[in-house]
Amino acid sequence: MKRSIAFELVRYALILAAVAITLVPIVWMATMAFKPIPEWTASGADLTWWPRNPTLDNFRFVFGEETSELIVALDKSAIRPIAASLLASIFGTLIAMICGTAAAYGLSRFNVGGNLPLALIQLRLFPPMAVMIPIMIMWSFLGLVDTWWGLALVYGIVTLPFAFWLMKTFFDEMPREIEEAALVEGCSRFRVFMRITLPVMRAPLASSALFVFILNWSDYLIGLLLTTKEWVTVPVYMASLSSSMTGQLYGAKAALGLIAAVPPVVLGIAIQKYLVRGLTFGALKQ
Amino acid sequence: MTATTSTPASLPRQLTLDEEGKRLGFRMTLPTQILILFIAVFPLLMQIYISLTDWSPLDGVSWISAYESWNNFANFVDLIQDDRLWAALRRTFLVMAVCVPAQFFLALGLAVLFVDNFIGKRLFYSILLTPMMVVPSVAGYMFFMLFQSGGPINGIISGVTGMDFAVAWLSDPHLALVAVMIADVWQWTPLMFLILLAGLIGVPEDQLRAATLLGASWWQRFTTIMLPRIKIVIVIALAIRVVEIFKIFDTLYVMTGGGPGVATETISVYIYKITTQDLTWAYVAAIALFILITLSVLANMALRRMGRRS
Repeated sequence: MKRSIAFELVRYALILAAVAITLVPIVWMATMAFKPIPEWTASGADLTWWPRNPTLDNFRFVFGEETSELIVALDKSAIRPIAASLLASIFGTLIAMICGTAAAYGLSRFNVGGNLPLALIQLRLFPPMAVMIPIMIMWSFLGLVDTWWGLALVYGIVTLPFAFWLMKTFFDEMPREIEEAALVEGCSRFRVFMRITLPVMRAPLASSALFVFILNWSDYLIGLLLTTKEWVTVPVYMASLSSSMTGQLYGAKAALGLIAAVPPVVLGIAIQKYLVRGLTFGALKQ
Repeated sequence: MTATTSTPASLPRQLTLDEEGKRLGFRMTLPTQILILFIAVFPLLMQIYISLTDWSPLDGVSWISAYESWNNFANFVDLIQDDRLWAALRRTFLVMAVCVPAQFFLALGLAVLFVDNFIGKRLFYSILLTPMMVVPSVAGYMFFMLFQSGGPINGIISGVTGMDFAVAWLSDPHLALVAVMIADVWQWTPLMFLILLAGLIGVPEDQLRAATLLGASWWQRFTTIMLPRIKIVIVIALAIRVVEIFKIFDTLYVMTGGGPGVATETISVYIYKITTQDLTWAYVAAIALFILITLSVLANMALRRMGRRS
């Protein structure tokens, strides 16, 4: 279809405007992370988008090094929160993927499990805040508060619906002939699943796992409720950077925010193809 | 399943493939079933039980003994008279009423621009999707910085208008809510865009071409072919955002902490505050239960209506 030049001009103008609006907050934080103290607080006419004297002090500060610019040193470096976030997210992803994949396969191939799919959607529908009281009571009873494994367990359960629905759509689409050939050879069904199905589904498994990891890594509320000191996650730690000190530590928070923001953005772009399915519970196929 | 092989007579106890499959399938769903029992069914019963008492973690008694402070549904009576709760609910719906349509129309506009190919499409597409992948609490912090009175938003406005513009967005009760809405629109319009674009790409091109041959204008093709074709996609996109905005917490809490005062206190923020500050957990359980029941009823009504239509 031929388009007029005017249409193309309008299109590029609108898209560029949207791109600019999209990038403003990100650029502001990214450059803030490299600004020394005097430029943090610059306002009005002194606003600088690009740091005049770029520095890595903010990153050093976040990792607990003494820096000349900053008077106060942190009582704890960001290494531990990063470890906490990583451990909880990775193991949460494992729980969700293992249970979700198994259930999805069972449901997709053998039609068992009843209304499990709907139960899982319901789980997603409710605000986490509305189901946290019993979890908090159970977790303190089990001694799971402020541990990375306690957090990983909740993450695994919260993201299980996504793992399940993503894997179910992938299994539904996988041609069964591949499996049936192996069955005829005399393999047991479980062997077929382990030896044939899983290897064939490598790419969907990887993208689903990355998707679930992004969700876990992004959590703030659950970390806020279930961790207090030892195993606070990155977002919780980041938010606490302001209250424990005098004033806002703009640069340091921006540095940490950048560290927290980069992995999901990179992974997200890597699995762009699967995002629609993941976010719509597979209701839409692209 | 075609692979039903008959068992050899010599091995009567061996399972047929179908039986084996059913058994395996059941076992494979077991971990998930147990987790749901552990995380949904049992906690729900616990929540109902606690909501009927005055129990608080400060009491020093185990939650099992909560019945000792049974209070004849007093929590639910309090809930009806809790103005702060109703204000928080109204505010949540206000954010929803503004943000969901804004996200929808912005996203639809963008999706229309992206339907056919043009130079730089993939790059622009990737950039436009970035916000939804940014950790929400980090996005909250970004907007916290942007909306400072000496921050870049005021800087940009000053630059454009030539006046010295220094509004304290986040400490003004009305503007704080506007700032929160802007942040939400920034972060989640991309999701709507992604879903709607996926729908629009699925519209068969020959139908559009046929309509062009019949002399339909672009607008006619859009309203008579494209929109009806993606109706279900639109419903899904809207439903997802409605559900998610009802839960809004991370971005908002980082930006304003629910303040100034209670000006940006949504339902999740309100529950979070009384959970961690007042520690009246029995009352929180009652509120949570009330919300769960309301949401279930609404969701079931919506699902049934959708089921009847399709």
